[in-house]
Amino acid sequence: MGREAILKSIKQNKPALLPLHEINLEAFSEEVNLLDTFKSNVELVGGTIQELKKNENLTTEINKRYPKAKKIVGNSQTSDIGTIPISKETEPHQLENIDLAIIKGEFGVAENGAIWISEQDFPIRVLPFITNDLVIVLEKENLCLHLHDAYKKIAGRERSFGLFISGPSKTADIEQCLVIGAQGAMSLTVVLI
Amino acid sequence: MSHSEKAAVFNKNEAKVNWHDKALWYVREKRDNAAHGVKGWEYLRELASGIKANVLSNLDDYLIEFEANALANGIKVHWASSAEEHNQIVSKILEDKKAKKVVKSKSMLTEECHLNPYLENKGIEVVDTDLGEYIVQIAKESPSHIVLPAIHKTKEEVDELFQEHLGTTPSNGNPEYLTNEARKHLRKKFLQADAAITGVNFAIAETGGIVVCTNEGNADMGSHSAPVHIACMGIEKIIPKEEHLGIFLRLLARSATGQPITTYSSHFNKPTEGREMHIVIVDNGRTEQLSREDFRASLHCIRCGACMNTCPIYRRSGGHSYDATIPGPIGSILSPGKDLTKHSSLPFASTLCGSCSNVCPVKINIHEQLYSWRQIITKDVKQPLVKKTILKIAGVVLSNRTLYNIGGKSARFMLKYAPRFMVYSKLNAWGKARELPEVKNQNFDDWYKEKRKNNG
Amino acid sequence: MKVGLFIPCYINQLYPQVAIATLELLEKLNVDVYYPSTQTCCGQPLGNSGYEEDSKGACQLFVENFKEYDFIVGPSGSCIYHIKKHFDILEQTPEVVKVRENAYELCEFIVKILGKTEVGASFPYKVGLHKSCHGLRGLNLGSCSERMEPHYSTEEDLLNNVKGLELVKLNREDECCGFGGTFSVFEEAVSVKMGKDKIKDHLDSGVEVITGADHSCLMHLEGLINRDNKPLRVMHIAEILNKTL
Ligand code: SF4
Repeated sequence: MGREAILKSIKQNKPALLPLHEINLEAFSEEVNLLDTFKSNVELVGGTIQELKKNENLTTEINKRYPKAKKIVGNSQTSDIGTIPISKETEPHQLENIDLAIIKGEFGVAENGAIWISEQDFPIRVLPFITNDLVIVLEKENLCLHLHDAYKKIAGRERSFGLFISGPSKTADIEQCLVIGAQGAMSLTVVLI
Repeated sequence: MSHSEKAAVFNKNEAKVNWHDKALWYVREKRDNAAHGVKGWEYLRELASGIKANVLSNLDDYLIEFEANALANGIKVHWASSAEEHNQIVSKILEDKKAKKVVKSKSMLTEECHLNPYLENKGIEVVDTDLGEYIVQIAKESPSHIVLPAIHKTKEEVDELFQEHLGTTPSNGNPEYLTNEARKHLRKKFLQADAAITGVNFAIAETGGIVVCTNEGNADMGSHSAPVHIACMGIEKIIPKEEHLGIFLRLLARSATGQPITTYSSHFNKPTEGREMHIVIVDNGRTEQLSREDFRASLHCIRCGACMNTCPIYRRSGGHSYDATIPGPIGSILSPGKDLTKHSSLPFASTLCGSCSNVCPVKINIHEQLYSWRQIITKDVKQPLVKKTILKIAGVVLSNRTLYNIGGKSARFMLKYAPRFMVYSKLNAWGKARELPEVKNQNFDDWYKEKRKNNG
Repeated sequence: MKVGLFIPCYINQLYPQVAIATLELLEKLNVDVYYPSTQTCCGQPLGNSGYEEDSKGACQLFVENFKEYDFIVGPSGSCIYHIKKHFDILEQTPEVVKVRENAYELCEFIVKILGKTEVGASFPYKVGLHKSCHGLRGLNLGSCSERMEPHYSTEEDLLNNVKGLELVKLNREDECCGFGGTFSVFEEAVSVKMGKDKIKDHLDSGVEVITGADHSCLMHLEGLINRDNKPLRVMHIAEILNKTL
């Protein structure tokens, strides 16, 4: 019922077709050091950067950073640190008390410190949100300047669920005071490899 | 009560006005800083505005395209002409799933449709999970700002509310403590929920997917925990292509809070395996607004709230003085389209300074639309007799030089000789806090005649 | 070049000194100025109040009065903006179009058309510039704080060349003062609060004289200043630019 009425009303009321303009991406190009810009923006949005040195081991470094974490969801792609196995069948509430999750990031966006992660990188959608602390492992080479480039990179993906994640969850809903750790993860560490 | 009456009440507490003004000006400054960091900012705004204009001119086709793609991805699509239809549809989905507990993330559309009371009447528990919305929900109020729903509340007020509703210990309004208490409480709600309702920031015709942006992670906590996800969107949320998100997401958070992007920009294209996802597409007056040539650009709005933060009147009168779901400048051009009489004072709650149009990331000519609404309101809504008479007479006097000579003289005569108590009487709103101009002995006409005899 | 001097109604009646300063300044700059004696008003108060229809007579009379001039110059940004923007309600005859195209706010006329920023004035005070919204955002007399564009300001260009004048930087450089025509009476509480905040900003910044290119804003601020006996003077920019030692 609603559908036809709405479409009809739009047809009657819309203006004559207006063109969709070309986007001149040149206008947004900038000569910046992608890695430096990315790092400073991750920190700006409340995240922490850890650059893994050649001789450092990912698991050891994560353990050092989160010594108290017991219930850890890892991921074979990133490290063998996981203590809780999960699969597509895991129910969200089983993850209620997860201390730490480690997820592989696909690429980072320099202009805003965001990292693209997608369902292909974590079997349960709620994982990056429900975990108390979140670590994203990202290859240094995988950075782009801005969101225009980012959408080019993900244009051909398998579309189910994915997101840009920029820092830990936060709110400023009480008197504009910024509080890190709202409903999602309390902290975000980006490990650059 | 009209906006001016409510604003006058708000202004009785000057300290609170100062506080409100400062809090929002701070957000405006953060927006300025963030925008300064983006090369090509003004061009981005132009692009965004152009895309939205294109969308409106082709909206039916885009919606059909969106629907087809969403269906192909296993999402169920519903259409609602009105708020009632929207509420019925949502309620039906919940009923079919026997859902009794619902978590909701921020959606101005569900506010507009008054979904919460509708569902509550049917015995369903609805919990608003955005912290600000949660605060106003337990306070039994409405949001006073579309991005910062509880901006009118002090932290001490939040403290008291939480003591009452969450049993927290008094903390002098410690934001960290209070936020954490809410987190604990809401986590339980997320995990117990039978269904999650979210808004939609952008719906992409090309892919049939939607994007939801939050900082708190509440939309994701809800939609990925509950067995059913219902996303509600106005028809104007459509954008043609996914690449256009690059433009809108660069603008949205920077305009809203000065962040480079929201913490989470979640792209939903398919439901989780074994779960359901519904999208409800709502008109509720939007196609009518689309028919109004002078006002259709108001449908460009991406609900960033920047026009509120910059508005000198909003900052000094508070969101509730607008008595509408969407307050502030954008609300003042949307609301008259819904109920002209009820909202007839809103387009006058502005000096037409134009700051709103300048910050708007999609370049809505807000202040020009306010001017246009005024022309309509004076014709279609009964006006206070005094105001109307004065202005009508002024129109006649100003188009006739002889009358004007007499009029000008008498206005000056009044100013000069009327005793103060008369001029500053109750009706004289000018004089309550302001002196009238001092009257000189000669106006410019007379001076000119005397001094520049040979000219003119 | 024949210039028609447009003196808005409230300046004519209540602030003749502003009109005189405008005229004298233009004469000093060797402009051939005429003052059409049958002028009344641009119709702005009516339009902004929602009575645009009733202002047509005033607008038409304006065009009649000024159609023969090469330029129309007035010391009030909002009136000039109204002419440029809202005279679209008249039939667009060649005369109407000509008037709309050639109407200039005083400062803009001096800087853009006469090509001058130095007018030989001298005024040894700390001055705060009030950038009226219609001049700023309507006529683009300067860059606005909301827009990401290079800084410029027509009035600042002129004031920076006044001998002895120190232009003071404000905390909120271009927030509205709250006048807004009939807004000032129909939204009295907010209007007054906005004006007070504006004045406080000037006082906090050490301003001695507030100036601007739109006297309606200044009338509102002056009313508040005088009521509260604040140590501030209010002068139209034409009065400052017309001052010599
Ligand atoms: S009108 Fe523009 S500035 Fe205001 S909320 Fe909408 S998009 Fe933001």
